[in-house]
Amino acid sequence: MLERFLSLFRIDTGKRERNQGTTVFWIIAGTASALLLMGWLLPWFVNDYSAGVGYSAQDALVSSPTGIGTFCIYIMAVAMIMLVVSPIAEAIARARGRAFGKRADRIRFIAALVGLALTAVVWFLVSVIQEEPLFGSFTAGTYTDSAVWLTMYGFAMAALAYGARDWVVARQSVAFGVAALPFGIFLPLMFHQAPDFLLWAAGSLAIYMLLALGLNVVVGFAGLLDLGYAAFFAIGGYACASFASPIHNIHLPLWVLIFLGAAVASMFGAVLGAPTLRLRGDYLAIVTLGFGEIIPDLATNNVFNLTGGANGISGIDQPHYGALDFSTSPRWYYWSLLIVSILVIIFLRNIERSRVGRAWVALREDEVAAAATGINTTTTKLLAFAIGASVSGLAGAFYGSIVSIVSPDDFSFSVSIAVLSIVVLGGIGNIVGVILGSFILTFVIFWVLPNMNEWTTTLSTTVHVPALAGIDFSSYTFIIYGLALIAMMLLRPGGLLPSRARRIELESGEESESLAAVQGVA
Amino acid sequence: MTSNGASVAASNGAPVIELRDVDVFYGRVAALRKVSLEVHPGEIVALIGSNGAGKTSTLRTISGLISPRNGDVLLFGKSIRGVGAAHIARLGVGHAPEGRRLFARMTVRENLDMGAYSRNDRAGIRRDLERVFTLFPRLRERATQLAGSLSGGEQQMVAIGRALMSDPKALLLDEPSLGLAPILVDAIFEVIKEINSKGTTILLIEQNALLALKTASRGYVLETGSVVLSGPSADLIASPDIQRAYLGM
Repeated sequence: MLERFLSLFRIDTGKRERNQGTTVFWIIAGTASALLLMGWLLPWFVNDYSAGVGYSAQDALVSSPTGIGTFCIYIMAVAMIMLVVSPIAEAIARARGRAFGKRADRIRFIAALVGLALTAVVWFLVSVIQEEPLFGSFTAGTYTDSAVWLTMYGFAMAALAYGARDWVVARQSVAFGVAALPFGIFLPLMFHQAPDFLLWAAGSLAIYMLLALGLNVVVGFAGLLDLGYAAFFAIGGYACASFASPIHNIHLPLWVLIFLGAAVASMFGAVLGAPTLRLRGDYLAIVTLGFGEIIPDLATNNVFNLTGGANGISGIDQPHYGALDFSTSPRWYYWSLLIVSILVIIFLRNIERSRVGRAWVALREDEVAAAATGINTTTTKLLAFAIGASVSGLAGAFYGSIVSIVSPDDFSFSVSIAVLSIVVLGGIGNIVGVILGSFILTFVIFWVLPNMNEWTTTLSTTVHVPALAGIDFSSYTFIIYGLALIAMMLLRPGGLLPSRARRIELESGEESESLAAVQGVA
Repeated sequence: MTSNGASVAASNGAPVIELRDVDVFYGRVAALRKVSLEVHPGEIVALIGSNGAGKTSTLRTISGLISPRNGDVLLFGKSIRGVGAAHIARLGVGHAPEGRRLFARMTVRENLDMGAYSRNDRAGIRRDLERVFTLFPRLRERATQLAGSLSGGEQQMVAIGRALMSDPKALLLDEPSLGLAPILVDAIFEVIKEINSKGTTILLIEQNALLALKTASRGYVLETGSVVLSGPSADLIASPDIQRAYLGM
């Protein structure tokens, strides 16, 4: 029995699905432009006189207008402008039916390499030797490490995009990993002067990415629509809160909590899965919706005095890994979440290619035929619910320990919807697409939309248009969000990176019959 | 696990498939009433009848997709009461369901691999894949194409091939000629006979009653959920009732 169960996880599809397309290329090229622009502008925000990359204009102009560093910055600026403008120019040219040749790619590749080298030189002058070779020592003005990092990363990504365009197009998923992983690893170093940003990155981005990856198992792999996914997030969060806070006076370490959260949530996943086995599509969605409402309600009503009622559970432990104190250094949160995320991604990728992964696809395609070929539909569906829920529970445990308080409001319907939007926007059933979607949507939901008011106010004083400051974007948050989703779905109905099945489905547009319908009970 | 069916089949001279007074209901609507039939090792048996007579329900009951309200289904002499479809497939019953029901967004090869889902013997799977490709050379050419993009005849080949990939002792075929050009129908039935000649027992549903009875050694005639007539094919073909109702003579 156990052997049969374990054999479900045996990987037996040898070949990987190659996801080809230009989407990732454009994302890398566009991100490179954005990073270069950010790197250039960031010192400006910190210091009005800065020429960028920490080499303040004041220093440059006053002490060494003809110095080597200044010269480097001028050339860098040319490369930077070229790389920022060229993707836009190329997109316009493409829209008009003209294409950039190989030569344009080579020029931009060289520009990116030159820019990267010069950024390193300037950084070396400004922060390591703190001396202008021609004019002697000087003290740099305000400069930020982040600007140097962003600029260098921008140049590196541009070099990848233009130097290896064919490879990026042929191996989208791998290219995305190569571009995004170092950024993920170095992020805490880039923004060490902005711990709040880091905490944001760990607390929102990574948590939502994990949630979306988990939901993708249920919705994407197994094709079961789940509208109450936040319930499992809540269960993970409360599991963590119960076993690492003064409420029951239990204090377990974080790594135990992660497994605990995952285990408890997967149990609930199976419990929810069992009565919904015969349901599909809209019926299933309604039942899961109900479940998603019940769990926060139970927490609000403080069932069995476990959940602390409407106020939730506060004072959750700040975990330590020996000498590493999480509370003073958000980067350790960030890195441990990153490691956990990578492990989860590897796990899910293998699951997708295992026997149970194939069974999910078959089940999604045709439940009757799947049953007739010997797939145990009950076990297979329950596994999807349990695995999906366990990832969510794991995210919940992390969330609880990061924010140190969990309350029913944290797990409302809007969380389920946000996570579902990420999965749909990124590309249902495609892991890389879902990761991409979580980057973009968390960025929009948790950074762009909340900061919009502040930005427009700044802009209105800069360009002297007082009307801009009058707009209160916070009341339009959901309208903007909704419009963006609608636009996205019209332009790319399969999501940013559609999975193969989804692409074909969009072309043929058919739905399969359920086993229950054949049995005459639904 | 897969050899289980064979050992059971060999152990006694019991019918491969036996239905005893089976009643099947969809909700409150009766689909089968007191249906009894037997299929013996090595036979081809045809189920004929008009639309809604209960042919498909009979096959689905045998492969465990639906369970009978009354009566008993025996495979290799053992009752399958309470045994799920997944387990029955493992016992050695291959079902090529009505309307082919391929996994349209998988390739031909992946569909065939799904047929061998419950097997673990890699060598045996490879042998059977080769066998399917030999029976249907067209599928080898189309191996990497999506099943949904194939023609009707090719899809039927995949459906039969997928059922064969489970290395079944008994093969249930639901309307293999549905929607096929006449020349393809003949080809498919040649293959069915060839599969049977290698020892696989076959229970066949077919609209084309004459073709079905000519292929099968025995036949059952279903009408509104009950068996109204049964016997050797030659007798059925000769029967005036059958000639009038199903053979258009």
